Amino acid sequence: MSVAVGRDILQDKPGTRACLLGNLGIVRGALEAGVQFFSCYPGTPSSEIGDTFARIAKESGVQFEYSVNEKIAVEVAFAASLTGARSMCGMKHLGLSYANDPISTMPYVGVEGGMVIVSAGDPSVITSPNEQDQRHFSRLLYYPVFDPATPVDAMRMTRYAFGFSETTRLPVIIRPTARVCHSNGMVTLGPLPSTRNEIRFTKNPSRYVPIPVNARRMRKELTQRFALAEELLAASAFFPRTGSGPRGIIASGMAYAYAAQVVEDLGLERAVTLQQVGAYPIPEEVLTGFLESVSSVLVVEELTPVVEECVSLSAFRRHKQIPILGKHGGHFTEPDSVNPVFPVEFEYTPDLVEDVIRDYLGLEKRDRISVSVPELPSRPPVLCPGCPHRMSFYMAKKVFGKKTVYCNDIGCYTLGYGEPLQACDVLLCMGSSITQASGIARMTGKRVVAYIGDSTFFHSGLPAIANAVQADDNITAVILDNYITAMTGFQPSLTSRTPGSDHDNRQSSIPNRQSPTAARFSIEEAVRGLGVKEVYSVDPFDETTTLKAFKKAKKGTGVNVVICHSPCAVDRRRRDRGKRRPPFAIDQDLCNACSLCVLALGCPGIMVEDGRYSIDQDLCDGCAICASVCVQGAIQPVVSVKT
Amino acid sequence: MTRSSDNRPGPPSENPVTPPSVAPPSVAPPSRRCGDTGSGARATETEGLARAPSRRGRRIVIVGTGGQGALTAARLLCDCLVEYGHHVVSGQLHGMAQRGGSVHTSIKVDCGISPVIAAGRADCVLGFEPVETARALPFMSSQTVVYMNTAPVIPFILGQRAVLKQGDGRYPNVPGLVDSIRAVTAQVFPFDATRLAQESGSVKTMNTIMLGCLLGSGLLPRTAEEFWRTVTRVMPPDLVKANAEAFSNGVKMGRKFLPCEMSP
Repeated sequence: MSVAVGRDILQDKPGTRACLLGNLGIVRGALEAGVQFFSCYPGTPSSEIGDTFARIAKESGVQFEYSVNEKIAVEVAFAASLTGARSMCGMKHLGLSYANDPISTMPYVGVEGGMVIVSAGDPSVITSPNEQDQRHFSRLLYYPVFDPATPVDAMRMTRYAFGFSETTRLPVIIRPTARVCHSNGMVTLGPLPSTRNEIRFTKNPSRYVPIPVNARRMRKELTQRFALAEELLAASAFFPRTGSGPRGIIASGMAYAYAAQVVEDLGLERAVTLQQVGAYPIPEEVLTGFLESVSSVLVVEELTPVVEECVSLSAFRRHKQIPILGKHGGHFTEPDSVNPVFPVEFEYTPDLVEDVIRDYLGLEKRDRISVSVPELPSRPPVLCPGCPHRMSFYMAKKVFGKKTVYCNDIGCYTLGYGEPLQACDVLLCMGSSITQASGIARMTGKRVVAYIGDSTFFHSGLPAIANAVQADDNITAVILDNYITAMTGFQPSLTSRTPGSDHDNRQSSIPNRQSPTAARFSIEEAVRGLGVKEVYSVDPFDETTTLKAFKKAKKGTGVNVVICHSPCAVDRRRRDRGKRRPPFAIDQDLCNACSLCVLALGCPGIMVEDGRYSIDQDLCDGCAICASVCVQGAIQPVVSVKT
Repeated sequence: MTRSSDNRPGPPSENPVTPPSVAPPSVAPPSRRCGDTGSGARATETEGLARAPSRRGRRIVIVGTGGQGALTAARLLCDCLVEYGHHVVSGQLHGMAQRGGSVHTSIKVDCGISPVIAAGRADCVLGFEPVETARALPFMSSQTVVYMNTAPVIPFILGQRAVLKQGDGRYPNVPGLVDSIRAVTAQVFPFDATRLAQESGSVKTMNTIMLGCLLGSGLLPRTAEEFWRTVTRVMPPDLVKANAEAFSNGVKMGRKFLPCEMSP
């Protein structure tokens, strides 16, 4: 029988065929492997993995937490593994870099229960400040890295990875790209295990303490364990070779799916030998076997030429002189067909892969009709109607003015970038608003404003505040506390309330950790504890108090903090079952089309059509911020307005 | 109980990645399938030479804006096709999707493992919104059937951008958008699906109207009745009831605009 899953990831009907999202495939694979611990910090495109575990934690008995940051997620999960538990943690590519310190030593110490790190990639920089190729962690830090091409791969690799990790005592990375995370594919469900690893921590300091004398021994063992990993991978099912032709194509990740599709669609099975690379290190015998069966090679992989260099090296060692084509230009035999060649940046498309494969095989170019697409308006992401960040930005700019440097951070508030809010002059990574403000303030001698959200503040803003305090930097940190990690899908933050604990409006619709007594965190106490003397707590929609606080902060010396508390407008509505504050409207008799509301706020609820200003009643959240901006008094609650 | 020590990773028992590429046996293809060469295309294959790209299976693109129900529509379609034993892969163009952003999903039925549809290879585009339908033009060819809602969703800050001197702030002329699509395929069927949804009970049923079109067209290997059976199974009864009229109106619309040789 086939069913669509997603709703019921815990069903135990082995053999069921299901159409599963890549991220859910990873969850299911882990459950089938008997995962006992899961931690993560949310990050697109990996977020659904953690959110699913959050929902099923109780029922499945998996210990779950949204960690404060990725470094912590990895460390807690690793320690869980040392007790024998099969543990897993999830994050995006940037999180893996953030956690690089513990990650670099974990292979030395080695795991007890299998440990899998899922680090989702973002080729084409869709929802991140950069793209990166986590496959390099294989060579850099001795990690086996699995590189799924489909949700099916993702599920099978995850299921396999736990036992593999236990055998080699190596923690393992699974790197699905955003395409794999967010595509649906057909999987066959396996059984859920009836037993789990026994939990017991056995003291063994020489095994768990990597002081130099132990670390040197561990280093030697690591080489051996990594060799064992390669041996096991060679026997695994993640390097399928299909077709029987003399022209070789070797591919990995989503690019493999594209290449396989081209081979299938064009019926090239007898012209081409297609080799998938599903994991790193690529076992030497896989490369040897492939190279022996082909007379030329085309490498199809997104981002850096990892496979290409492995294949080239293997061929060189074997004195096998055949053309190996991929990202390095000029390899094509026909002088006039050096293009197209694969780029090192961005994700591939099926069209690019087909074009290159046709070129490689000397097939005629695709018969492509030219389609002219008219110029179309885009739909860029903007701060939602009713968003408290808009009010905070507006108030701060009113006080600090246009010349002040505004350092921004990672979260919804990044959308303060550009016209009209101009709340983002500098941006780098999680927690960088405060540190960048420090650097700029110290060198320019001028007060700098840093914007950071609640979740990001606890993620990496705390040490940044401590650092700014010790240097007595002339900065104002504006902490935008909306009680939620909104950008990645409304996961709870430390200022959220645990559901069910009380009726406070600070709770996420996604459950947090399992303990219902989880503490409520106070940003005020945290920054005071770090030595900040001047701390202002405001509701940004309370105009007078907020302006007063910003004015005091502007005149202050050293580090001061303004905390803007107000719930995320979208999450509030989700919890209130769509209930909104009464909307506002523009009195057409009073509006003189001065455009002040648009120039100051950029709220998507304000419509402008042929010079006529109006408020979309479906979008308006009744936050009244535009009413306070309008000098004509034309914006009023909808009950008292003639439109 | 502890995991036994012989639980070492070995080659998993399943076959390597390549999924079944044949149509499920229980499925009799509808007699009126547009442009389908069936699996017989394999017989004409010549060693080492590429044949024309396979037209097996179906490639559906659903586009709209956030909140219009495009993702729900795609999900329901997948649910139904999977239930009847079809091989389905689907994908979405990801982004900072939030209410009002562009939404693009693709569904491939019985045609391979890549979730992404190549340029010009869509068999059908369901356009929930005119500008978004035009944005899907690169996926269309002369063989593509396009059902297109002509009711625009004005981008949030289109007018504001004109105030900020970023463009003229005008939404493109809808008949012009239809023409740009007609320049690629004659089989474009524009109609006001939002109004039809209103007449069928609620604006929110627009996605059901569009799905009805697709099911009514006969482009899919399942019938409208089979699809609705799945919907009845997976959706809460009140939603099924609220969408029933919209679905049957959509199916009528799809049958009215029968694509190409499917017309009697």
